[in-house]
Amino acid sequence: MAEGTRYLILSLQGEGYAIPISRLLEITVPRDIQKDKGLSEVFEGKCEFRGRFVPVLSLKKIFNLSGNKGTALLMVQNAKGMMGLLVDEVTEIFDTTQKPAPMPAGVLNPGTHCYGGILRHRDSLVLLLNEDGLLP
Amino acid sequence: MMINYLVFLLSGRLFGVKLDGAIEILPWRPSRRVPLAYSYVEGLLDYRGVVYPVFNIAQQLGMVKPGPIGPTAAESVGTRSGQSIILLEVNKNPFGIVVDAVVKMAPLKSPVTGVVKPQGVDPKFVQGFAYEDDREIMILDGERLLHAG
Repeated sequence: MAEGTRYLILSLQGEGYAIPISRLLEITVPRDIQKDKGLSEVFEGKCEFRGRFVPVLSLKKIFNLSGNKGTALLMVQNAKGMMGLLVDEVTEIFDTTQKPAPMPAGVLNPGTHCYGGILRHRDSLVLLLNEDGLLP
Repeated sequence: MMINYLVFLLSGRLFGVKLDGAIEILPWRPSRRVPLAYSYVEGLLDYRGVVYPVFNIAQQLGMVKPGPIGPTAAESVGTRSGQSIILLEVNKNPFGIVVDAVVKMAPLKSPVTGVVKPQGVDPKFVQGFAYEDDREIMILDGERLLHAG
């Protein structure tokens, strides 16, 4: 039997996004996020995690989506280290053998690398995040 | 030479795309938004196992200003009665275009190119003009629509 991949499904403005569980360190509530003038304005600030200060991003800010910054904080490992991602909510763990479909031609500027593909989940499309390409 | 076209209406004007690239016509439906996509991308449509990006071609062609589509249209999705989505495939790339109404399928003479300048439409998307009963039909270049960005 083919081995599946596990994803965390999260929600932004009611639509689903996925991140591989293998990159997830912890799910927590956003608290004690400190502003840091030394960080680029795309960061909400930083928070202490496992004895280190980790930059925190609001996914909705990166995606130009309106609304509050989010009620869940995902601590994620990417190629450059750890980061926090603010999202609206976490909905479930999704175990699948699907190979993510590529983003179709004509949708994104070739310089945009924030998606790793598309998954089908419960009769809808979920965008797989590329945690290494979220920062501009 | 006669070529078969799918003729449709957009803002009261007639347009055509080659019929051999047309897969299906659907009533308009909301598609899955893709943040950071080009402004004319309404989203993604999962139809019969294929993921189609859906383009608002009125905006692509420069006939309307960027409207409430794409990631900035959080609360704007409503009914778009009467509009249709034409599913196309160009060089094995599937995509959909939003049109006001599909008029008909018609065999038309090869489009006249370079004589008339399209008015109110970005000329880079226009392959030429075909005529039927003195009515002008703007023939669009599917490849250009797909790679407009």
